[in-house]
Amino acid sequence: MTTTALRGSSASWIRLSLGLASLAGALVASVMALVWAPPDANQGEVQRIMYVHVPSAWTAYLAFAIVFVASAGWLWTRRRIFDAIAVASAEIGVLFTGLALVAGSIWAKPTWGVWWTWEPRLITTAVMFVMYVGYLLLRSLSADVEGRATRAAVIGVVAVVNIPIVHLSVTWMNALHQLPTVLRPDGPAMDGRMLATLIVSVLAFTLICAWLMVARVALETSRQERVLDARGA
Amino acid sequence: MRGAWLVAARELRADARHPDGFATAVTFVAALVLIESIVVGPQVARETTVAPALYWIALLFAAIVVTTRSFDRELADDAIDAVLALPGGRDALYAGKLIALAATIAAVGLVGGVLQIALLDLTLALPGHALVAVALGVIALPAVVIIDVALTLRLRGRAALVPVLAVPALLPQLVAATNALGLALSGDATGSLAWSGLLLAIALVYAVLGLTIAGTAIE
Repeated sequence: MTTTALRGSSASWIRLSLGLASLAGALVASVMALVWAPPDANQGEVQRIMYVHVPSAWTAYLAFAIVFVASAGWLWTRRRIFDAIAVASAEIGVLFTGLALVAGSIWAKPTWGVWWTWEPRLITTAVMFVMYVGYLLLRSLSADVEGRATRAAVIGVVAVVNIPIVHLSVTWMNALHQLPTVLRPDGPAMDGRMLATLIVSVLAFTLICAWLMVARVALETSRQERVLDARGA
Repeated sequence: MRGAWLVAARELRADARHPDGFATAVTFVAALVLIESIVVGPQVARETTVAPALYWIALLFAAIVVTTRSFDRELADDAIDAVLALPGGRDALYAGKLIALAATIAAVGLVGGVLQIALLDLTLALPGHALVAVALGVIALPAVVIIDVALTLRLRGRAALVPVLAVPALLPQLVAATNALGLALSGDATGSLAWSGLLLAIALVYAVLGLTIAGTAIE
């Protein structure tokens, strides 16, 4: 992938296609989540927040994993496209982690009786959120393009350890948060229609993530080129 | 390794000549010990879960103070370039600072611990276990903070950025250290040693990780 590859006519076509696919995915997922999927036997209608909360968390994991790969790519090759991918993914990851935390809080109030409680999954997710906000702050406070990319890449590589910690925190520690219901050794423990809706929601969020990523990477590569042009001038 | 010892010895000599970083850290810890009983009340402050937690939070910020001061000293007259020219380069700088700053923070921790025991009238059921917890607990603090200070070395927002980067990364260390010290206070030898074992593992992981990325992180 070259720096200009995402900004040509084919890139515009990819962005448009991803945008339309994201829109279609979001519409289908919304109808399935709000109409087709049955309410939970115990939690009732409030359980439908799961179709936003879980895909948001999945998208955040995906984005932060991409930050790790792109950061390693920058440290290895010093190609600017990797830095652009890393910053785009970090911003998307922070956005979706925030969304997962907010959606989780809205679900927690009627279910647990509180907006927030000090339990391992919530704390580790909040810590992951703060760490990647720190990553973005580190970038924003540095004017030197190369140095900023390198500093951020170090954090991007190290911070990936948060993903397994957040994901496994519910099994490592006695937690209030429910245990995994889909990724279980003995298969998903969920109604078929709920599972199908969740899968479609995850796919829709992944498409949105890809769309945002392509748009943001194009923006960042364009910004990088402006900075380099200014430096050359 | 010789380069690391050279850096450590140089760092400790500089601290002995101008102990402003150490003095600031001790004052900070002492101030926190003094105010904790007023803020949370003397009974709560003495609890074996509260006193160690406040102690380690104070030490974490003390570690940020002494590490920042240490790098400021290097930047003052571009001395860092001379240090990087020593055998071992960036790895030696990281390892040397880790050794010296762990020793300095341990000294700050001992003064802070004595103050806390005296002012809060704490009964230390297992002093040896508490010393083990402090000795192992202080290693991870500079291991992480040195990298964060190095990453933000010439940035204008460093004072705010270092805690933002260091505190989340040190969460496992804070939990393990608080438990190890709390159980030493309450007399649970096995529990304290188990958490101290985890502290050793955390210290090793952070130190190895720090050594791995020091070459990239230190400009």
